[in-house]
Amino acid sequence: MSAINNNCEYISKKQIEITFDGKTYKAYEGDTIASALLRNNIRLVGRSFKYHRPRGIYTCGIEEPNALVQIISEHNEPNTRATIKRVYDGIEITSQNRWPSLTYDFGAINNILSPIFSAGFYYKTFMGPKGFWKNLYEPLIRRSAGLGKPPKNFRSKSTHQYHNNDVVIIGAGLSGLAAAKKFINTKYKVLLIEQDSYLGGVLKNSNKVKTINDLTPRKWISETEKLILNSKNITILKNTLVTTYNFTNHLIALEDKFAGKKIELNKSELTLHKIRTSNTIIANGHIERFISFRNNDLPGVMLASSFEKYIHRYGVVPEKEPVIFTNNSSSLSLLKKLISLGCKPNAYVDSRKKDNIETEIKKILKDNEISFFSDAEIEGCDGNKKVETITIRQGKSFKKLQSSMLCVSGGYNPDIHLFTQSKGLVKWDKNILSFKPDTPFQKTITLGSTSGNYNFKKLCDEINEKLSIFKTKKVSLDINLNVPNKFSITELWETKKKNNSNWSKSFVDLHNDVTTKDLKQAITEGFDRIEHLKRYTTNSMGTDQGKISSINSLAIVSKMLKKEISEVGTTTYRPPYAPLSFAAIAGRSTYEFYDPERKTSIHSWHLKNNAVFENVGQWKRPWYFKASENETMHQAVQRESKMLRENAGILDGSTLGKIEIKGRDALEFMNLMYTNAFSKMKPMTSRYAMMLGEDGMIKDDGIICKISDQHFIATTTSSGAPKVLADMEEYLQTEWPHLQVFLNSITEQFSTFNISGPKTREIMMKVFPDIDFSNDAFPFMTFKNFDYKKTKIRIMRASFTGELGYEIYVPPKFGLELWQEIFSCGKEYNLIPYGTETMHLLRAEKGYIVIGQETDGTVTPIDLNYNWMIGKNKKDFIGKRSLTRPDTSREDRKQLVGLLPINKKDIIEEGQHIVELNELPKKITNPIKYLGHVSSGYHSPNLNHSIGLAMIKGGKNLFGQKFFVTATGKTKNIPVEIVNPVFIDPENKRLTS
Amino acid sequence: MILIKCPYCGERDQSEFANGGEAHVIRPKNPESLSDKDWGEYVFYRNNPKGIFYERWVHSHGCKKWFNAVRNTSTDQILKVYKVNEKRPDLSDFENTLKSPSGEPLVGSGNFAVKK
Ligand SMILES: [Zn+2]
Repeated sequence: MSAINNNCEYISKKQIEITFDGKTYKAYEGDTIASALLRNNIRLVGRSFKYHRPRGIYTCGIEEPNALVQIISEHNEPNTRATIKRVYDGIEITSQNRWPSLTYDFGAINNILSPIFSAGFYYKTFMGPKGFWKNLYEPLIRRSAGLGKPPKNFRSKSTHQYHNNDVVIIGAGLSGLAAAKKFINTKYKVLLIEQDSYLGGVLKNSNKVKTINDLTPRKWISETEKLILNSKNITILKNTLVTTYNFTNHLIALEDKFAGKKIELNKSELTLHKIRTSNTIIANGHIERFISFRNNDLPGVMLASSFEKYIHRYGVVPEKEPVIFTNNSSSLSLLKKLISLGCKPNAYVDSRKKDNIETEIKKILKDNEISFFSDAEIEGCDGNKKVETITIRQGKSFKKLQSSMLCVSGGYNPDIHLFTQSKGLVKWDKNILSFKPDTPFQKTITLGSTSGNYNFKKLCDEINEKLSIFKTKKVSLDINLNVPNKFSITELWETKKKNNSNWSKSFVDLHNDVTTKDLKQAITEGFDRIEHLKRYTTNSMGTDQGKISSINSLAIVSKMLKKEISEVGTTTYRPPYAPLSFAAIAGRSTYEFYDPERKTSIHSWHLKNNAVFENVGQWKRPWYFKASENETMHQAVQRESKMLRENAGILDGSTLGKIEIKGRDALEFMNLMYTNAFSKMKPMTSRYAMMLGEDGMIKDDGIICKISDQHFIATTTSSGAPKVLADMEEYLQTEWPHLQVFLNSITEQFSTFNISGPKTREIMMKVFPDIDFSNDAFPFMTFKNFDYKKTKIRIMRASFTGELGYEIYVPPKFGLELWQEIFSCGKEYNLIPYGTETMHLLRAEKGYIVIGQETDGTVTPIDLNYNWMIGKNKKDFIGKRSLTRPDTSREDRKQLVGLLPINKKDIIEEGQHIVELNELPKKITNPIKYLGHVSSGYHSPNLNHSIGLAMIKGGKNLFGQKFFVTATGKTKNIPVEIVNPVFIDPENKRLTS
Repeated sequence: MILIKCPYCGERDQSEFANGGEAHVIRPKNPESLSDKDWGEYVFYRNNPKGIFYERWVHSHGCKKWFNAVRNTSTDQILKVYKVNEKRPDLSDFENTLKSPSGEPLVGSGNFAVKK
């Protein structure tokens, strides 16, 4: 066996070096991996998915089911189609799914064990015993079945680009170019998308067209391209594959920016085009299909038109003397080409009756003395990791030939993939024995072989007619052919095997290793619906989506079921048309660009003072501050919490959501949105408030400041702010449009500091010497506005720690300055900065809840014993009616309680269960009665023991009772007492004095 | 990804919008006067038909306005958009888009890929 080079205008003369499985080979610039390997007579390129059978290059394009390789030199990119990927000097490629090497693959034992890998084997073989799936079967299957290995530490460099067009033409072959020609210098904004780096499609990939408008195909392509490029309204995208056809003519296409070139650092490798268009013209041609016969997967079996493409497009004749096997008229151009190159096919096997075979074919065969078998088929082929002999059946006689390559053509399928993605209906065409587009759902036009028109002479009329909806001039195409005008085909999907053996398989899906036997078995087992059958056998579910084989399996199944193919139907083609890498989908949205980071005006100070940050929504909040290098989080939080209750601490609360509510009806609106009653509230006072859903469950909480009946400021949780604002807006627009209220997010207009602790008043007096902070002048839950230096500030007396506290609101521009001023004044009082974890601990000591910790969307204010917050005299507010529903007034709902460990050394952990048992049984046979869960658990440095908040069934009536809390990794439970959930200052003396 | 026509801004990509469920569900004026069952229906029950559906959308990454739309849920076609205060269009306006008793259109729903 040997390949020869052919003169080819699409391949450069420049020689380069590539590496495949560690060996270096010569190739030409412009080669694909496949054409380069074929040029070097490499036929074995991979192992199959399930049986690890040796596999070669089957096609010359996107439809390739076998030749998937890993590109080591490109961040180890796996599952790359060798038939698509262009090589460059120094590219490093390895084969996949083999161990230890491609030639000696241990997993090939799967082929011998194949009876257990038959249809539905995932469902049947690995049923039990329990635990075997996770520990044995799954790791085993994952190692032995599959594709390449994913890259590690990979950073995507892809970008997204958006387009809006009047017309998108998919495919720049003969039909696509002719269609584009019509739009030259028109008012339509057109995008022409081609998968290859050259335009021309069938004109460049085959010998089928001799001349077009009296020009050679090459000449016609370049003249047409020139005209299109000169037309300002048409853009051409090359190396771009349309993968997805969504609703409302939304297309997604992937462009390879480095096709045939070494990837440059810091440059985008891929561009994902997101295209919205008014009209889509699909002209992406057809895909040749194979025929199932014994060992139709051996390296050396190749589709006939792919063989022809290698000669034309890549200038390599993979084999000088192949055997041609066909059931249709299309191989005439290949025959002619081989003869013109001085190559003589070993044999021509045609399943059509002699009378139906074109005279021209018969004449060429006779003139060149090529063995000719009509009304015949390939029974099978044999060989060690490659085709060595080919057996032909003609009637009852068999003929065995020595040959290393077999070109197969089972007919052409219109490439209806994108058309069905667009939700158009397809129809079975008996003349071409395939599905073709019928009724479009969107503004979709199919042209040429995509529409099932295999007659070149009728192409011009088709284009002019279908594009008559556009105001364009007619095109004319005078086409001279190397193939018969009329496409002729006879039905042949599977040839008969001479005898059965385990090794000899007849495949319908090469990618997923599905055999004709699997289809038969699945039908016998009752999977006679095509969608079920597909999933049970995994037929056409590979990354190639059965492009060369799915129609074959439908036909075989319909024969078995004795039904028409149109009755059996086709499975749904789903996007993407070809694999789309996650890197392309992610685009720039990775790592630090994945989500914006929001930082407060004090962020730089936090960094300098060894803050460890926590993500709260998009915000970066100090979690705790490290006093020394070795201080652990637990130590830091214990220290901060103790220091604050002894002296004072300050928290950067700028992230808290702040919404301004203004307008004539602000008071009425607030009364409707929140549980609390705001009518009797005095101006310049504030109140802790809750917002419910219409189902009565707590959604958010915060402090409401009332400036006047027409002006409120609501604070929200840090992550809840956008949702609260959106909900308010929704009610105003949809339910209460009569209310005159305006909302404004002012979260970022203020830096907010929460300062609290017994020494707070002294510090505040030092920072703001002109302000009277005495209890009478500035009582709890009031606020005032002041001038401060060149700005205005607002100070509110409030606290989330249970200590005397103030909240300071200052424009962010002056935030850092004031923060530093507070620290310099607070130094003598041992003022410390503290983070969110200490805040959580301190509020738990005080029994304050945190939204999302004590609440989980199933908790009402009554469950928290916060009845005082409910404005019972209000006629209505969001969620009020639900608080008296039978379910929300149940006595045994989970209610908020405090937990104290009976043995003071025990630790109560967050998230643990509360049970009645002091010890869990060694083996759990019956469900254990579950009473509730620990929602917050901390070691309190101020009480010197563990405390917990819990949600427990009927908790309100359980105070003083003893229960047990489970502990991680232990069967012995922790005895606890149910107590009032306020551990510090239950009389609120510290808060209000 | 469908294209939605905001009544205030014009045609925009679906990614700019958020869906708000069934339209024309009005919050009761006097919730306290409702039985538990009636209130429960308002809070928890919504229609989810296959076929013509009146639903709410908000142009959340745009003008932030709420509006209503009539959508065929089996084909995702938006048949009409209208402002919150505009009259609910008649179901009969869309009758010709209903092809079968279950509301399943022949083309576009993806359930029948092959024309018989
Ligand atoms: Zn809008």
